[in-house]
Amino acid sequence: MSIKIAIIQFPGSNCDLDALHVLNDVMTIETTLVWHNEFKGSQFDGAILPGGFSFGDYLRSGIIAAHSPAIDEARQMLKDDKPIIGICNGFQILTEAQLLPGALLQNESLKFICKWVKLRVENNQTAFTNMMELGSILNIPIAHGEGRYFTDKLKELQDNNQIVFKYVDNNGEMGEYSNPNGSLANIAGVCDLEQKCVGLMPHPERASESILSPEKTIHGKLFFESMKNFIEKRV
Amino acid sequence: MRKVKVGNNEIDVDLTDKEVTYIKDTLERDPTITEIGMFDVMWSEHCSYKSSRPKLRLFEDAEKNYNYVLAGPGQDAGVIDIGDGYCLAFRIESHNHPSAIEPYHGAATGIGGIIRDILCMGVRPIALLDPLRFGSLKNNPHSQWLLKYVVKGIADYGNCTGIPTIGGEVEFDKSFQNNCLVNVACIGLGKIEDFKHAPSRAYNPGDYVILMGGSTGKDGIHGVTFASRTLTEESEEDRPAVQIGDPFTKKLIIEATLEAIKTGYVRGLKDLGGGGLSCALSELTGDGGTGAIIDINKVFTREPGMNSFEIMLSESQERMAFIVKPEGLETVLNVFRKYEMAHAVIGRTDDSKVLKVYNEDDFVVKLPAKALSESPIAERKEKQPKFLDTLLSQKTPNPTKSLKEIVYELIASENICSKEWIYRQYDHEVGIRSIIKCGDGDSGVLRIIGTDKFISASVGANSKHCYLDPYNGAKGNLVEVCGNILASGATPLAMVNCCNFGNPEIPESYWYFSNAVKGMADFCKKLRIPIVGGNVSFYNEDEVTKTAIKATPIIMIVGLIEGENNIITLPFKQPGNDILLVGETLAELGGSEYHSVIYNLEGGKPPRVDEDNIKSRWDFIQELYKRNLIKANHDINKGGFLISIAEMCFKNKLGANLELDNIYDKKVRIDEFLFSESVGRFIIEVESITTKEILDLAKKIKVDIYKIGSIISDPKINVSGLDDKNFSIDVFELEKLYKNSIPNIMDI
Repeated sequence: MSIKIAIIQFPGSNCDLDALHVLNDVMTIETTLVWHNEFKGSQFDGAILPGGFSFGDYLRSGIIAAHSPAIDEARQMLKDDKPIIGICNGFQILTEAQLLPGALLQNESLKFICKWVKLRVENNQTAFTNMMELGSILNIPIAHGEGRYFTDKLKELQDNNQIVFKYVDNNGEMGEYSNPNGSLANIAGVCDLEQKCVGLMPHPERASESILSPEKTIHGKLFFESMKNFIEKRV
Repeated sequence: MRKVKVGNNEIDVDLTDKEVTYIKDTLERDPTITEIGMFDVMWSEHCSYKSSRPKLRLFEDAEKNYNYVLAGPGQDAGVIDIGDGYCLAFRIESHNHPSAIEPYHGAATGIGGIIRDILCMGVRPIALLDPLRFGSLKNNPHSQWLLKYVVKGIADYGNCTGIPTIGGEVEFDKSFQNNCLVNVACIGLGKIEDFKHAPSRAYNPGDYVILMGGSTGKDGIHGVTFASRTLTEESEEDRPAVQIGDPFTKKLIIEATLEAIKTGYVRGLKDLGGGGLSCALSELTGDGGTGAIIDINKVFTREPGMNSFEIMLSESQERMAFIVKPEGLETVLNVFRKYEMAHAVIGRTDDSKVLKVYNEDDFVVKLPAKALSESPIAERKEKQPKFLDTLLSQKTPNPTKSLKEIVYELIASENICSKEWIYRQYDHEVGIRSIIKCGDGDSGVLRIIGTDKFISASVGANSKHCYLDPYNGAKGNLVEVCGNILASGATPLAMVNCCNFGNPEIPESYWYFSNAVKGMADFCKKLRIPIVGGNVSFYNEDEVTKTAIKATPIIMIVGLIEGENNIITLPFKQPGNDILLVGETLAELGGSEYHSVIYNLEGGKPPRVDEDNIKSRWDFIQELYKRNLIKANHDINKGGFLISIAEMCFKNKLGANLELDNIYDKKVRIDEFLFSESVGRFIIEVESITTKEILDLAKKIKVDIYKIGSIISDPKINVSGLDDKNFSIDVFELEKLYKNSIPNIMDI
């Protein structure tokens, strides 16, 4: 059986083509771009909500896209045990749609930040992290103005193992300089209770080819390998 | 501005009396209000290049003399063939006046405009670069305000459209205090066939004229005439002439335009920038040898009751004009519908060679299509400024500070320190093409996915050098920017420029322009670099102090690297490797950072450019690349070679032992030697077993080269061979100063 993945394009998505290149050409997973109001979840085994500025991030990042019919499709996909990942703006959309807990606020510095950071894997049981080692460190870039994670249910997230990634320093510690945007508890990514929906601010699709990576790592591929593994095992 | 009477109305225009008479004589009647407004815009300095054209003719004809140049000056962007069926389009433009008044929207719409220029060549915009100029930053809230919001304007617009900002440069100098410079450059990549499909001409009668994108409002009316005057205290009142950008709409326009071109039904394409509809329609028909009939009521406006004058002159952002084959109308409109982009068929082309615009039954415009683009030349006088002799004869004072102190001050100075505060705010990764990222090299390097080719791009200028000698200064700018390209392992392919100068009506200001153009023309002809486009921004002159900005002919170069292994980076790699200095160091401290930072001096003897020397150095570097002998390369720029060496130490936390005994020529002073800004030099890292081969080769082809030391693992720069002036500096301490300078000012 071959796996079929959709990249949902909203007006203003701008990492859609990057994700398409990585999925199709680097991972050789059959992937198609689908315009948000034409998206049918039943035709795919998994979906990616790419980065960008959906609907210009007007009103609040991700909130307009959260009301697209594509989100109802996504909700149904999760019920059908199909994995969904939201990257950057995709993460913002998923929190606005309440498919993931918490919210993304403006960076502490009040500025957009583009840089490579280090993530520590906090949960390797999700649909997108099952090929990672718990506690391992990933090199992945961020590029956002509103990525400061916040929730008033931190304890609940901890108890339910919903924190998937944390920003750390070169030594894998949550030191003074490891938190690029002021996220609560250094949280970079979370998942839903069933661990099938993952959202994160960093961009795995920008970290999947060694030529793009300052340290020549390809940690981004692990996300998509995990997704593939999850889908194949489920079937 | 002056009042002109047309029919029963009076109107304020910037046209001269001579020009108004010329218009009336050509038309053999009084122009309508809308027509006179169109002439006023199209014959403004900004659109017509009436002062600069006579000098720009000195540039070699790129399309004729270089077989890989597909589009040269006069088009929306220069286009070159880079093989494998791909072409690159690139252009640079100024948005100085709007940014000085309203930095956020001024800079943002600058980005918007340059993206449209690339888009209308039929290719996808893939990178932005922004050279900026402000007054000094320290203790200067005005400059800090401008920097903060110009950068935010660029970031918000570029990041949202998904086009990475991969490079740029900044200079701080008091001459830019009231006239900041915001230049914006964009690179597009596409298939040659896509470029050829949709030229910026309407050459076929009977095609539909479609307006797509944002609605036409009252903003930006007279933006270009505003840009063709000097700024004054009253310019604040011109803030409505600054347009408001909408990057979200722009992103949709990019996708809709590229998809429309793919249908094969788009026969011509033009963006609406300065001069709005007037400019787009007259250039489409004028250049295409056709005419058109336009129904002004079809133009969708932002508010009711706009008159034809306002509609024809509005510079509202995010609009494109399409010339579409009749049989493909529905197909193209369906693409626009998918992206929910507003659009309207506003008219059709014909063979009349006349541009006719009607409002119900009344013609409001009836002009020969070419009339608007054929402005009379404005003859300008030029005269060397008197103050130059005094400046050029200034001597370097005797240093009172130690060399070590001087290095510390230089590395922390505004023009040398790290610009990370700026580029961290730009998404430089989106598009997954960026291989050498901001801060990691002399130029930005992008991959072309699906090939083993890489684009290298850089921008820059040295205003302080140009102020003292615009002829050699402009050449020096070319040497420096080409040096950036070369240092990344690339071959420079083509150049575009953005000439920022004072008021051309003042002979001293025009003299600077004239000499800078001559310098660029001479250098490019000799080094075989085609000039494929340019932009001129005059009137950067302060009305209060009656001084012009320092002459700033910004250069942008694109180059190509074949093969990933041939990309060269800046950081030192391996302790034990040798450090070589390529090129001669002369006592050229005029306009140097050393003079300005340590002594607050602007004068002295600036660097000169010897093309033959430069040529043999470039050939030499290329030969070393071919033999795979260079491990790191960094061209020497502001502050001199010690600064370059420090920058090469930072990333891998390495140091250097510099033994200068055999290179330090005692005929020049130590400070002249260390801080000279002689152009066209490089610091290269090579394996020590290859040093002899390299020195022998250099001797054979007569290139100046010196072994000046070796890389060490201890992060210290130890300088010896200066008699009692030897010193040692800590790399970490230097890096701290280098990195913290701007944040210490901006993040408080």
